[in-house]
Amino acid sequence: MKIYRSHLLICGGTGCHASGSLAVKKVLVEELDKRGLAEEIKIVETGCNGFCAQGPIMVVYPEGIVYMQIKTEDVPELVEEHFVKGRPLARLFYKEPTTEEKIPTMQEIPFFAHQELRVLRNRGLIDPENIEEYIARDGYAGMAKALTEMSADDIVKEVLASGLRGRGGAGFPTGMKWQFASRSMGDMKYVLCNADEGDPGAFMDRSVLEADPHSVIEGMVIAAKAIGSPQGYIYCRAEYPLAIHRMNIALDQAREFGLIGKNILDTGFNFDIEIYQGAGAFVCGEETALMTSIEGKRGMPRPRPPFPAISGLWGKPSILNNVETLANIGQIILRGGAWYASVGTEKSKGTKVFALTGDVNNVGLVEVPMGTTLGTIVYEIGGGIPGGKRFKAAQLGGPSGGMIPVQHLNAPIDYEKVAELGAIMGSGGMIVLNEDKCAVDMARFFMDFCQDESCGKCTPCREGTKRMLDLLTNICSGKGKEGDIELLEGMAALIKDSALCGLGQTAPNPVLSTIRYFRNEYETHIRDKRCSAVVCSALFKSPCQHTCPVGMDVPSYIALIRAGRLEDAYKVMMRTNPFPSVCGRVCDHKCQSKCRRGMLDEAVAIKFLKRFISDNAPRPKIEPVPVTRKEKIGVVGAGPAGLTAARDLAKRGYKVDVFEELPTPGGMLAWGIPSYRLPREILNREIDDIRQLGVDIRCNVRVGKDIPFDKFLKEYDYVYLAPGAHKSQRLGVEGEKLKGVYGGVEFLRAFNMNEAAWLKGERKIGSRVAVVGGGNSAIDAARTAARLGADVTILYRRLRADMPAAEEEIVAAEHEGIKIEYLVAPTKLVGEGGKVTGISCERMILGDFDSSGRRRPAPVKGSEFTLSVDAVIAAIGQTPDLSFVSEGSGVKVNRWSCFDLDGLSKSKTLHEKVYAGGDAVTGPDTVIGAIAAGHRAAEDIDQAIRTANGEPPYAAPPTENIVIPFEIDEETQERPQAAMPELDAHERRKSFIEVELGYSSEEAFKEACRCLRCDAEI
Amino acid sequence: MNKILITIDGRQLEAKPGQTILEVAKENGIYIPTLCYYAATRVVGACRVCVVEVENSRTLVASCAMPVSPGMVVKTDTPRVRESQKLVVELLWSAGDHNCLVCESNGQCELQDLIYWLKIEKPRFKIEAPGYPLEKTNTMIQRDLNKCVLCGRCIRACNEIQVNEVLDFFERGSKMKVGPAFDADYIDSNCVFCGACVDACPTGAIVNKQSRFEGRPWDLQKIRTTCGYCGVGCQMDLNVYDGKVVKVTGNKEYGTPNQGSLCVKGRFGMEFIHHPSRLKTPLIKQANGEFKEADWDEAYDFIAGKLKSIKKKHGADSLAGLSSARCTNEENYLFQKFMRTVIGTNNVDHCARL
Repeated sequence: MKIYRSHLLICGGTGCHASGSLAVKKVLVEELDKRGLAEEIKIVETGCNGFCAQGPIMVVYPEGIVYMQIKTEDVPELVEEHFVKGRPLARLFYKEPTTEEKIPTMQEIPFFAHQELRVLRNRGLIDPENIEEYIARDGYAGMAKALTEMSADDIVKEVLASGLRGRGGAGFPTGMKWQFASRSMGDMKYVLCNADEGDPGAFMDRSVLEADPHSVIEGMVIAAKAIGSPQGYIYCRAEYPLAIHRMNIALDQAREFGLIGKNILDTGFNFDIEIYQGAGAFVCGEETALMTSIEGKRGMPRPRPPFPAISGLWGKPSILNNVETLANIGQIILRGGAWYASVGTEKSKGTKVFALTGDVNNVGLVEVPMGTTLGTIVYEIGGGIPGGKRFKAAQLGGPSGGMIPVQHLNAPIDYEKVAELGAIMGSGGMIVLNEDKCAVDMARFFMDFCQDESCGKCTPCREGTKRMLDLLTNICSGKGKEGDIELLEGMAALIKDSALCGLGQTAPNPVLSTIRYFRNEYETHIRDKRCSAVVCSALFKSPCQHTCPVGMDVPSYIALIRAGRLEDAYKVMMRTNPFPSVCGRVCDHKCQSKCRRGMLDEAVAIKFLKRFISDNAPRPKIEPVPVTRKEKIGVVGAGPAGLTAARDLAKRGYKVDVFEELPTPGGMLAWGIPSYRLPREILNREIDDIRQLGVDIRCNVRVGKDIPFDKFLKEYDYVYLAPGAHKSQRLGVEGEKLKGVYGGVEFLRAFNMNEAAWLKGERKIGSRVAVVGGGNSAIDAARTAARLGADVTILYRRLRADMPAAEEEIVAAEHEGIKIEYLVAPTKLVGEGGKVTGISCERMILGDFDSSGRRRPAPVKGSEFTLSVDAVIAAIGQTPDLSFVSEGSGVKVNRWSCFDLDGLSKSKTLHEKVYAGGDAVTGPDTVIGAIAAGHRAAEDIDQAIRTANGEPPYAAPPTENIVIPFEIDEETQERPQAAMPELDAHERRKSFIEVELGYSSEEAFKEACRCLRCDAEI
Repeated sequence: MNKILITIDGRQLEAKPGQTILEVAKENGIYIPTLCYYAATRVVGACRVCVVEVENSRTLVASCAMPVSPGMVVKTDTPRVRESQKLVVELLWSAGDHNCLVCESNGQCELQDLIYWLKIEKPRFKIEAPGYPLEKTNTMIQRDLNKCVLCGRCIRACNEIQVNEVLDFFERGSKMKVGPAFDADYIDSNCVFCGACVDACPTGAIVNKQSRFEGRPWDLQKIRTTCGYCGVGCQMDLNVYDGKVVKVTGNKEYGTPNQGSLCVKGRFGMEFIHHPSRLKTPLIKQANGEFKEADWDEAYDFIAGKLKSIKKKHGADSLAGLSSARCTNEENYLFQKFMRTVIGTNNVDHCARL
C-alpha cells in the first residue's frame, strides 16, 4: 500500500457539490500536480461531511484541520501555505459566528462537538465509492457475525435489545417488525429499504446513501437473514442521482466481493438487492404505496390489514425499513444491542440524525443522542439564529409534523416528548423558523404540499385537505371569518380519524400544531387582518407600514424626501403620528426590523429619515378645533398615550382636559428619556401643537390626591387613564434601603426635575456607579451618570445579545466609556453609615431556556465578588403606580399592577366610562406603542359615545390629497444605511447636548433612494 | 370452519374468519352505508363512507376492508362515525356539480341517497365543481366528470370484471380524474363500450346516452329478458317507458351466465326494436316480385313445401343448411339434426366458421 504524507478529504455530498467542491477538487489536483506533490498527497472525495452551510469543506489529515467555504481561487495559496510551507491557512478556518474566533479542528467546532456519530460514523472519513475503506472501518463485520454466528432468532433478539425504533418517523420497534416477518410463512419474502425521502427540508437519507452506502447494504443483508429473504429492493427517489449512482457502485462492489448475491461468505445464504427508482410521488414513502409502486402500479396506499409482514410486496411477507434504521444495524450486531441502548432516553434509544435547516446559522446534518434538548440542537450545534433574529419554533416531521415553539426549547427530543408537544419525530427534518415566519402561512404551505401530494384515493385527504387549504389561503389573504379556526380544528380531527393512510391522517398536524401554539396569530389574521410576521402580503401595502403600531405611511414620506417635498412629507407623517420628531429620535423602529431592504444589505434608516423631515420641513400650521360636542373627556397622564388620545378627541370636537402630576407634560419622554437623546424644545414643540388644538393640560395635579378619583369620574363623561409606568422594580436583595441606591426611572426623574443642581454639583451621584439591568432605562441612567462624571459599570445577568436595550444605545454607551459586565447579578448591597459602598455580585452561567427563548442565568458557586461603588442604580424594569384609582370605582387592577381591560376591548376597562392605555395597561413599552394606544382609545371612546347617542360612526374629514411620486432606481446597488453623524464621544461626556446630529440633505436623499418601494402596485 | 364471535352495535354475532365487518353486518341486517364498495371487485377502502368505530383502534376503520377478529367490538352508529361520514359526503357533494334537477341518475344516485340518509341540509363548503367539459364524442356513453366522486368503481369494473383495462386514475390530490390513458375520450381509446362503467357508476357521472331525457328512473319498467344477439343467453333488463325500450341494463342478481355484464351489442344495440323498417312478420315474395306479409304457419308451410319439392326433384344433397351464432347450442344441435335426419344431408354449417 502506498503511503502518503497527507490525505485531503474533500466533501462530495450533494450540498458541497452544489457549492462547488468538484471545481475546487479539480483545481486542487492541478495545483498539487504542478508543484509535484501528487505523489505525496492524496485527495479523497468523501460523502457528506454534514456541515453543509460551510461547504465546500476539506479536512486535512493527519493534522485534522478543517477548511471551509473554499473557493477555487483560494487553492494556490492553500497549497503554498499548508502543503509547501507547512503553515495552516487560518483564513479558511471555521469562524465562530458570535465570537469570531477561528477554530482549526473539527473536535473543537461546536457544530461537531455536541454530536454523537453512529449512523454517520463514516461520514466525511471514507470514500463511499471504495468498499475497502468501508471494510477498514469495521464494515461488513456485523454482517459476517450475523451470517456465521447467529440464528435468525438471535438477530431479532439483538435488534429488540437495542431498542431501535423505525427512523422513518413512526417509531415502530424494528426488532418487532422483523419478528413478525420472520414468523410469517412463505416461499418468498422481501427486504425493502425506504429511501423515498420526501419531506421538505429533509436530507438525512440522501446523505447516508451518498456518504456510506455500504452501511445500508450491510443492514439489509442482516435483515434478510433475520426474516429469511433472498431478495431486497432499495426504493430511492429519482431526484437523488448521486445517491443512486453511489449505491449502484456499492452494490456492484459488494457483489464482486461476494457480500451479496449467491452463497454469501460461503454460508449458503443468498440475498441480492435491486434499486427501484421512485418517480417523485411523496405518497410512495408510505409503505403500501411504495410496494404498489414497485409492483409497477400507480403508487397508492392500500388498507391494512393485511400488514406487509404477512402480505407485502406482490402479496409476499415483506419488511420495509428506512435508510437510517438499516444503517444502524451493522453496528448493533457487531457491538451489541446493549451498547446501542446505552444512549438515549427510556423509550427512545440510540441516536437520531436530523437535517437541521431553515433560519439557523449552521445548516447541516447532525446526529445526536435521543433526548438531546431542542435548545442544544438549535443553539449549540446550530449556532443560533442568523441576523440577531429570535427563534420562533422548530418544525419537526415536515408536512406530517408540527411545531415546537420557543417555550419548549428545553424539551428533550425523543419520540414521546415530540408527540406530547404535538409534533412527530418524522424522518428527522428539523426546520428552524425565526420571528419573521408566519405560523398561518407555514400551515398553509404544508397543507398546500399535502394537497399536491395527496394521491387522491380517499375522500378526507383528497377533498378535505383541499378545503382546509382554501380556509388557510383565505385567512392568509384577509378573507378569514370568525369560526374558521374552529372549522379547521373540526375538520382536522375528522380527517385524522378517517383518512386511509399516514399521509392523510397526519396532513392536518401542522394546522393543529400552529393553532395550538399560535392561535393568536390566526385570530389577528382573521379579526385585525394583520400578519405580525409580515409575511401574508395580501394583508399589507408595505412591511414597514404594517409593522408600525400606528401604521405610518413610511414609503410615502420617504418617496417625498426623494422628491424634495418635505412639507408634504411632514403632513403625511402627521396623519398618523402627533410626535414625528420624537419618534424620529427615540422610536424603537420595529418597521426597520421587517424592512425588505434588510434582506439585501441593511434596512432603510426610517427613523433617521423621519427625523430629517421634522428637522428640516416647515412645520404644518395648527388651527384650534372648536368644541362641537357636549361630552367632556378627562385624561390622566400627559405622556404620549394620554396626549395622543387628547389630540384625536379634540380633533373630533370634544373638550379634553389632561391632568399631569409632574410639573411639565411629556411623561417618560420628558422625565425618563435624557435630553441628549430627545432635546426638550423638540418635545415641547409637539406638545404645544396639541395645546394649540384646544386641549387643556393641567400640570402639578395628581388625580386621586388633588382631585379625588370619584369626583374626577363624576366631572367627566368619559375618562382615559394613561399614567404610564414610573416605578422601578426592586432588586430584591439586602441593602436596597441604603442611601445612594436609586431606581432607574427615579434617578432619571430626579435628575430631570433639577438638572441645574446636578450639573452644578449641588446634587451628586458619586464617582463610581453601578447600574443593574439591560434595558433602555439602564442605558439611559448609565449614560446620564457618566455625563455627571461618574465611572459607570453596567451589570447584566445575561449576554449582550439578550439585552432588551436598542443596539445603537449599547454601542453609544460603550463609546462613552461605560463598562458592561455580562453574566453578573447582584446578591447584596453593602453600606457603611447607612450609605451604599459596594455591590456584591455573583458570576452567572446560562442554563435552561426560559419561555422567551433566552437562557436562564444561574449563579456560579464561589464566584462572588464585590465592587466598590458610591451609588447603585437598579434599572431592571418598571411597574405602573395605580394607587390613585379608588377601590370600589369599578376599575380593576391586575396582578401585574396594570389595568384590566374588558373582554376583547383594547382600551375599555371594566368600568363602562373609563378607558385606559399605554404602559399602565401593557407594562413598560415603547413610545409608538403608547401613541397607538392613544389613537385606539380615542376611537373607542368616540365610538362608545356615538353608539350611546344613536349617532352614526365618525367620518373623518377628507385629508389633503398628496400625490406620492413613484421613482425607483433601475438597479439596486448594495450599500448599508447612511451613518448618523454624531457628537464626538469625548464631547458627549461633558454635556447633555443631543448626540445624534441628524442627516444632511444629501445623506437623506441618498438614504431615501435606498427604499425599495414595497408599497408599489404593479 | 372456526367461528369467530364479534359484537356489532351491542349484538353478539357469529362470523367466519376472513369476513369483513361490512359483510358480517350485512348478513345480520345491520346497515352500514357504502360508496366505493363494489361487489366482485377488490376492496379499496377509498371513500371512507363505511367507517365504523372499533374498540382499541386509534382511528375509525373502513368496514369494507377490515377483516373481523375474535372479540372485536364494533359500533356503526355513534356521533363520531356520523360526523365523519357527514364530512366525507359533504366534501364529495361540494366538490362536484351534483345538480339533481337535470341528472339522469336522479332517484337512483347513491350520493343522493347518502345525503338524504345522513340528513344533511346543505354542505358547509362552497360548491366548486371542477368544470370539466361534457364528453359527447360517442353515441352510447356520456361522461360528466363534474359528477364523479372518484370512488373508482368504474375502474375496477373495467379492469377486474371486464378486464378491458381502459380506465384508471390520473393526476393527484383534488385534481385527480378517471379516464382512459392520456385523458382520451372513450371513442379514441381501447374502450369496447361494454358499459360496465355505466352500471358501476353510483352517480350521474357515467350514463347511458341513448336514454338521456327518455324517462326518469322511477318511470321505467324493468323487464327481464335474454339477449338475442348471441347464444350466450345473457340476462338483462329492458328499461321500458311508455311501451318503448329506452335502455338496457345489466343485473347482477340474475347470476349466470353473465353476472350482470353485457357487451356493446346487448347494451346499446337496441335501436332496431322500434325501428320503422323492422320486420315484424314473415314476408313471402309474390310472383310479381313484391313481398306479402304472412303469418308463421303460412311461412313454415311455404318453406316446408319448397324444401320437399327441391329434395324430391334434385335429391337431399341439393340442399344445405347454415345456422347462426345467435342461436343457442341446443338450437344449433336441433338444426343439424334436422338437416341430417329430416332433410337427409350432411350439408350443414354455421356462420361462426366464416
